Amino acid sequence: MDKKDTYLIVVAVVICIVICCLSPYIASGDPDGLEKSAEDSGLAEDFAVEEISGIPEAIFPDYAFANDPDNQALQIVALVLGAIITLLLGYGVAAIVRRRN
Amino acid sequence: MHIPDGFIPISQCLIYYVILIVALYFSVKWARSNLDEKRIPLLAVLAAGIFAIMSMNMPIPFGTSGHMVGGALVAIVFLAPEAAVLVFTVVLLIQALIFGDGGITALGANVLNMAIIGGFVGLYTFKALKNMIGKYAAAGIGAWLATVLAALACAIEMAIAGTFPVSVGIPSMVLYHFFIGIIEAVLTVIVLVALDKFRPDLLAWNKSEGDA
Repeated sequence: MDKKDTYLIVVAVVICIVICCLSPYIASGDPDGLEKSAEDSGLAEDFAVEEISGIPEAIFPDYAFANDPDNQALQIVALVLGAIITLLLGYGVAAIVRRRN
Repeated sequence: MHIPDGFIPISQCLIYYVILIVALYFSVKWARSNLDEKRIPLLAVLAAGIFAIMSMNMPIPFGTSGHMVGGALVAIVFLAPEAAVLVFTVVLLIQALIFGDGGITALGANVLNMAIIGGFVGLYTFKALKNMIGKYAAAGIGAWLATVLAALACAIEMAIAGTFPVSVGIPSMVLYHFFIGIIEAVLTVIVLVALDKFRPDLLAWNKSEGDA
């Protein structure tokens, strides 16, 4: 990897960390467009059109630690971990499927 | 617009998974002949950036919130909706498995809305308008339209699933995403301007005007 690409990754990681540090404090907790549409049609919050069993529990439900969901510092940790895992998996997938000469 | 588990019956989820597998086949084929080594870091940082920005819900009217999605952005950066499919399969898989955001069973439908519909609508709106109104205005309108049409598709999927009817779903989803699309448009243009300024070599539009 040349210097320009290292720089791209460093800048992107810094931007991601800044967003991850701000989100727990400033992101809106209002329902998103789909949740609100479900509310508009009178669906309960835990609505399910069909009971689906066997879904594994999320490790960090709602981008938080399950045992301390309101701890914003831990939310930052969860988000930063998520961004790093996404970066690594994205890099891995791209490297596997890239053009071969 | 992450559809959670339980909003789509398993039988219909399977159909969306088939669509996902077909889309991944074409995306890998695209990557094998178009994704050069130099753009591997770009694809990775777009995935990470999209993961992060999706946590930043911004308030819109009606006591609702929304965040940037990024399907149009990825498709325009690479001039290929296939790139959006690769990026969103990674991002949505991690969000569903680790963070419980978006269903595992709904992964196919979520990739369809955000990457396939978002990517195609964003890219082809951009291509249709760029010579008339300039590339940034075209990208902004493409990103806005991608958000609104993805929301419309989501409303139709919800109606087919029996979750909520089109009579409520279409007006609600389109109204909220009319505003969420503005967030999408602004952030899409900001990222494109920044990339064009600092790494113009990474933007496919600087390489192969017209083709791809």
